[in-house]
Amino acid sequence: MSTLTLGIIVIIYMFVIAWLGYLGYKQTKNASDYLLGGRKVNPIIMALSYGATFISASAIVGFGGVAATFGMGIQWLCLLNMFMGVVVAFIFFGRRTRKLGEEHNARTFPQLLGLHYKSRSIQIFIASIIFIGMPLYAAVVMKGGAVFIEQMFHIDLHLALLIFTLIVAAYVITGGIKGVLYTDALQAVIMFVCMLFLLFWFYHIMDMGFIEANQRLTDIAPMVPERFKSLGHQGWTAMPIAGSPQWYTLVTSLILGVGIGCLAQPQLVVRFMMVESTKQLNRGVLIGCVFLIVTVGAIYHVGALSNLFFLKTEGVVASEAVKDMDKIIPLFINKAMPEWFGAVFMLCILSASMSTLSAQFHTMGAAFGADAFPKLGRGKNPSSTLGVRIGVLCSILVSYVICYALSASIIARGTALFMGICAATFLPAYFCSLYWKGATRQGAVASLWVGGLASLFAMLFLHKAEAAPVGFCKALFGQDVLIDVYPWYAIDPILFALPLSAITIVLVSLVTQRKTV
Amino acid sequence: MFGISNPGIWLAYLLAFACLLFSIWFGITTWNKEDDEKTNSTKESRE
Repeated sequence: MSTLTLGIIVIIYMFVIAWLGYLGYKQTKNASDYLLGGRKVNPIIMALSYGATFISASAIVGFGGVAATFGMGIQWLCLLNMFMGVVVAFIFFGRRTRKLGEEHNARTFPQLLGLHYKSRSIQIFIASIIFIGMPLYAAVVMKGGAVFIEQMFHIDLHLALLIFTLIVAAYVITGGIKGVLYTDALQAVIMFVCMLFLLFWFYHIMDMGFIEANQRLTDIAPMVPERFKSLGHQGWTAMPIAGSPQWYTLVTSLILGVGIGCLAQPQLVVRFMMVESTKQLNRGVLIGCVFLIVTVGAIYHVGALSNLFFLKTEGVVASEAVKDMDKIIPLFINKAMPEWFGAVFMLCILSASMSTLSAQFHTMGAAFGADAFPKLGRGKNPSSTLGVRIGVLCSILVSYVICYALSASIIARGTALFMGICAATFLPAYFCSLYWKGATRQGAVASLWVGGLASLFAMLFLHKAEAAPVGFCKALFGQDVLIDVYPWYAIDPILFALPLSAITIVLVSLVTQRKTV
Repeated sequence: MFGISNPGIWLAYLLAFACLLFSIWFGITTWNKEDDEKTNSTKESRE
């Protein structure tokens, strides 16, 4: 497909996005509209936005490549995305979060916990973690989107990054959460249709059914490259050897880290407070699960089965056809799909990046303008949105600078890093605010500090994937990690930090309860 | 099962499918249902 045709498709897409952003701008009258959509967001739009925010381009291209290389074990992540990310999140967290938010008239996640525990310092602490930690996660998504634009249009990476950032910034700053939600919903539909087509087209070109394709993939297990066998790879339809490096990465980092980490993501939690009633969340369970199994489930499934395609056309498995995991899915789309689908798939990847990024910018802006500096830009008008808009702008600038300032290897760990910090720091205090009235302010403060510091310590000194590229431990102690004994350096920080944070809130609350009684 | 011999894999597919069925059932049966679940602060204020 020519660059001109691609350009026309993208320009039409951008016009629609701009129009949706304008629609959000027109419907935003005050701070409540800008932050929560006036708490009257359509449940279908909320659920689609939740799903689109959840699934970034790295979930499609990155984890799709992981599936092609290591096989179907990654489907546990799809299950956890659905079960923890939608069923548990909406039913056990969402319904109570919505009510608690309404009772306290909270507009952001830090405000929700701050008002519940009657502590301004809790609100400031959570807002600071968001504003300091999330730009790293946003930088990953920004860079991913820019690299994709660079490759498709053959333009300079810096220019691609600037264009991509400016477009997202324009509709988030002007349209607020309504602009974000409307564009998210459109982007979710594009992602859904693309993944559905990808699944059906794969079976069409391979001329085989579901069970037959799985059986063929099982039969080619002996073709696993030697370099992966040593990591515990046993074939694309088998779990890695228990206790092997690949098993620890899959189980602790991907499945537990991302699966549990999604429960305490501020940009997702805030969506529960946007709907008018519980029934809207009930409807969201159905929409969210259908969306996730089609988008995430399809790309993981087709990713693993792409080995059959590469074997048929190139005579080698996917990881031998292209060594870089992140390039497997783009190459597969290029070779296996019709030419026109390449352009549509590009929109799918752009959509996945933009929907995640817009939610991140909005959440960081809210943390800055509504939580940390609530009086900013509000002079005589308490419902002014100027402060939050300034916050969004600052967050965009910080993320943009991080994209340039940090090395690629550290940025690549940004997603897992931020999700891990969120889960270990926020989850126990958030859970107790909903389910344990015995939790005290002191307990929540202690849990937040312990979770945050324990995560940071584990990432800097224990977990090799982060500690080695950061190099702080090496500079101090002359080795990448403090305990250089397998499997300790392979275990995700969430497994240390989350239990510590949970134990802290229980113990400190029990002690301080007695004192106050 | 499903052409996959390793239970660690087919179980993930089976449970994802079960999760989908549950979400469909839950979504349809509670489409218009408001619940009377109360939060900690609601309980406290009533007490």
